[in-house]
Amino acid sequence: MSMVDDARLDSQASDADVLLRVEGIKVHFPIKRGIFFDKTIGHVYAVDGVDLQIRRGETYGLVGESGCGKSTLGRAILNLEHPTEGHVRFDGVDIASLKGEDLRRKRQDLQMVFQDPLSSLDPRQSVESILVEGMKAHGIAKDAKEARPRLRELLQAVGLPIQALSKYPHEFSGGQRQRIGIARALSVNPKLIVADEPVSALDVSVQAQVINLLADLQEEFGLTYLVIAHDLAVVRHISDRIGVMYLGAIAEEAPAAELYETPLHPYTRALLSAVPIPDPVVEDTREQILLTGDLPSPSAPPAGCRFHTRCPWRQPTRCEDERPALRVVEIDGVTAEHKVACHWAEQIHSGELQPHAVEPVAVDPSALSGNVEPVAIDASPLGPDGRRTP
Amino acid sequence: MTESPKNTESPKNTESPKNTETPKSTGPLARYRDSRKERIDALAQLSARDRSAEPVQVTTGAGGTGPATPDHLTVTESGAIQEAPGVSLWASAWRRLRRNPVFIVGAVITAVFVVVAVFAPWLAPKDPTIGYLIDEVRPQTNPVPGPQPGFPLGADDRGRDLLSRLIVGSRQTLIVGVLATLGGFVGGLILGTLAGAFGGWVDSFVMRLVDVMLSIPSLILALSISALASEPSQWTLIIAIGVVQIPIFARLLRGSLLAQRSSDHVLAARALGIRRGPIIFRHMLPNALAPVIVQATLMLAVAIIDAAALSFLGLGNPDQRIPEWGQMLGQSRQFFYSHPQLAIYPAICIIIVALGFTLMGESTREALDPRSRR
Amino acid sequence: MAYSSTRPVADRDRPLLSVEDLTVTFGRQGEEPFRAVDGVSFTVRPGQTVGLVGESGCGKSVTSLAIMGLLPKRGNTVGGRVDFEGTDLLSLGDAELRNRRGKDLAMVFQDPLSSLNPVVPVGLQVTEVLERHRGMSRKAAMPVAADLLSRVGIPDPNRRVKDYPHQMSGGMRQRALVAIALACAPRLLIADEPTTALDVTIQAQILALLKELVEETGTALIMITHDLGVVAGLCDEVNVLYGGRIVERGPRHPIFREPRHPYTNGLLDSIPRLDTVGERLTPIPGSVADNLPWDHACAFAPRCSQPVEICTQTTPDLVTNGDRALRCHNPVEVPR
Repeated sequence: MSMVDDARLDSQASDADVLLRVEGIKVHFPIKRGIFFDKTIGHVYAVDGVDLQIRRGETYGLVGESGCGKSTLGRAILNLEHPTEGHVRFDGVDIASLKGEDLRRKRQDLQMVFQDPLSSLDPRQSVESILVEGMKAHGIAKDAKEARPRLRELLQAVGLPIQALSKYPHEFSGGQRQRIGIARALSVNPKLIVADEPVSALDVSVQAQVINLLADLQEEFGLTYLVIAHDLAVVRHISDRIGVMYLGAIAEEAPAAELYETPLHPYTRALLSAVPIPDPVVEDTREQILLTGDLPSPSAPPAGCRFHTRCPWRQPTRCEDERPALRVVEIDGVTAEHKVACHWAEQIHSGELQPHAVEPVAVDPSALSGNVEPVAIDASPLGPDGRRTP
Repeated sequence: MTESPKNTESPKNTESPKNTETPKSTGPLARYRDSRKERIDALAQLSARDRSAEPVQVTTGAGGTGPATPDHLTVTESGAIQEAPGVSLWASAWRRLRRNPVFIVGAVITAVFVVVAVFAPWLAPKDPTIGYLIDEVRPQTNPVPGPQPGFPLGADDRGRDLLSRLIVGSRQTLIVGVLATLGGFVGGLILGTLAGAFGGWVDSFVMRLVDVMLSIPSLILALSISALASEPSQWTLIIAIGVVQIPIFARLLRGSLLAQRSSDHVLAARALGIRRGPIIFRHMLPNALAPVIVQATLMLAVAIIDAAALSFLGLGNPDQRIPEWGQMLGQSRQFFYSHPQLAIYPAICIIIVALGFTLMGESTREALDPRSRR
Repeated sequence: MAYSSTRPVADRDRPLLSVEDLTVTFGRQGEEPFRAVDGVSFTVRPGQTVGLVGESGCGKSVTSLAIMGLLPKRGNTVGGRVDFEGTDLLSLGDAELRNRRGKDLAMVFQDPLSSLNPVVPVGLQVTEVLERHRGMSRKAAMPVAADLLSRVGIPDPNRRVKDYPHQMSGGMRQRALVAIALACAPRLLIADEPTTALDVTIQAQILALLKELVEETGTALIMITHDLGVVAGLCDEVNVLYGGRIVERGPRHPIFREPRHPYTNGLLDSIPRLDTVGERLTPIPGSVADNLPWDHACAFAPRCSQPVEICTQTTPDLVTNGDRALRCHNPVEVPR
């Protein structure tokens, strides 16, 4: 799944190929204080200007650390969180502008799989009632009896026996519950499934079951996926293309294999180097780029490049005052599919710019404005250049 | 068995996205789909080869004991599911409750109380309104006749059988307690659902109202409400106690609903395209109700005590012919020192009944707590 | 350095901690007892990093709590021996154990927010340990605390000592917890999923920090995790737990190169790896709910890729062979 046939999937993908087109989407949450009248005293810029396109039948992986806004983006695409600005065009219809009954009907096409399979299932509903509910809401079946053949099919598709129908969510193991969650999403014949951390709450040995299941179902039902996860290894495994998010914006977007082989954004490099690999030989030899400091507060994102407060390649010019746009770079071996939001991507790639030490910045998550003032420390526990070569 | 169960037949529903795309056999989309299929097939073959190759070599190491991977030893990929029919949350809570001695004690007390209340006229040995022993009452020397044959607990200051009055009095206590709590529950349910399900200005308005009501001590509020009535009766008592309970239920339900509103399963229902009504009444309310039902049992105990307190203060039913425990307690005031039994018996009845409801409520709360679920 | 050990580093080959046949059984009256840890034995030498790996419910966390004497007083029975430099920790009374904890043994937990006292400034939580175990005055302890915070990589420590836990990010909180654990230069540090709640880039920072501390101070480390990637980069010896028992043990390189237990092998097969091209994963079927009781079988048999008849009839023993140990009737023979 992770290899993309570049020849066929070139960047001039026609409009018919694109199932979902997200344009300049922003989700800002107001921070309110006050006793009698709520006064807006600031905003959390959870998602702050994201463009992306997902083609029919592909898996788009959205990766980033907690607080980067990836889950909010997923919900905004489904209009479960109303976007502050921007459009979400699904098959030509702007989901973000839909309301009421129109939106409800449209939900049939876009479904969601949740992180925590237990809390996302109503504890008082039997599996049968969970699966039938959506079908009834969209007129696929009038009652449980009519839905019976389809229920059988759904359960078979997600690998559960028919006896599961009469059971309740608390009677299943974590992996089985996630299968029920997936069956619920499938029950209304969606075109796009947004999977928000679909495996991170599961045991390691069970994660692979669900990953394989998602791949099988995509093949069987011709689904398009948006997979949101913090685990880069999982995302790389199941995605055709990957977008790396940092503080509400996409820092880099590329076909899965290319992102791993030639990461261009400093953040992507650091992220890739930080993922532990279950192989001591690799772990002993590979070079890690250790980032210092914390993720800045999304209520007070840094000006210019969002990543400049932690970037080992930060330059005195542009980085602090000019927000980089997502652009295609001209580097040998980098396709037009590969976009990066960094002013210095070419120079960093060629080795012209070298990483330097970064003074760690501590961020107070409780502070409203998240006053970001860099403070130097005397003895850095890390290497003097912010890197580490075991 | 490690192979995931594959659905061989394609979905019959014509709305399947796969089917709608099939007619367009040429073009970039079809090319993409074909390339994709080839790729996946190749991968599947690859992994199938890997798996079939491995175990055969492996088992030879164990001394050649039989063929590789006997099927009957392993589970299917998704893991086993018990054959027994499913057990809902309420059913499993009930299973735990049934074995809990605290609940049993509470339930027995409550059951006895209800049975006594319902069958009081037949259970009472004497008519509670007739002063059988009025002749023995001497205001100076013997104001309250003591126990004697036929009158195991003695009589009150008007010569009426104390035991019969206690038995018949349970009726009023039950009616007042249940009706008042029911009224509070229904009122709280409406206000709480309005506030919790709709949010926004409705929520603000309802909750400020509730806050105002909560800021007045409950007994004083009940006092003022029953004092407003032109003449006290058991209905003013019920209304007064019921109204006092409304804000408590409303606040509890609202909080519980708010937690439900932000829960994943409600988000999942919204994402599924379920209408707003069913989401509130099928998903949010039933899940939010558990703590409120528990609270209702506890409130029954409070209502009985409040009713007793108001009757004691003379704001209950003034009709002497209908005995009530609180009213009996109130009338025993002047004999507290000389004949404490007049106060002690109704007081014990109130305490035991309130305890019964409290034990039941607390153990139900424990059983419904998701953390105690096994 | 404030935290560097003042004690001479003992004989590096003599075990610092040896856990023998540790068994923890949970169960209230009238309930069927549940053996969470079932005859677990391993040793830790000074300066060594030992990993306990397994999925939820494998008993790895209960093992660490039992070593620390932190299991609740009621509702469980602990059997076996936990020998720390000649004393059986399980036989110590509460007061003695409290003296040992913090000074000789320290622990870092998974959730840094709930492990810190929310109403006490972080610096004060460090000085408390110093006051209690080193008998320092608060005034003398404060600069030491600031020094400790700076050593674990908290910027501007003199200002941060006055911060409350909610004013710090998850990574900073975990650093503060490490600082508290290290305050008295313990000879054994137990880290129970210390990075599970953290982001990957922060995880890399904390792991680097732990690695450095172990190298510099000679503190022994027990690393409890579900993440084989974390183990691969950090641990000298790896113990794989399943259903409350150790199923395989070995030094880091051999156990990843030639896993012998089908569970270890299956885990490695089922993890998507960042550095390999995505072919189909081979999951382990079922879940821990499908386990058999260890009494007359191998608990893993129903999920095993290569079970034989004996697996459901006899309990396999843990057979030690040099520095490897294995509990399996039908081990994997093919190197990966």
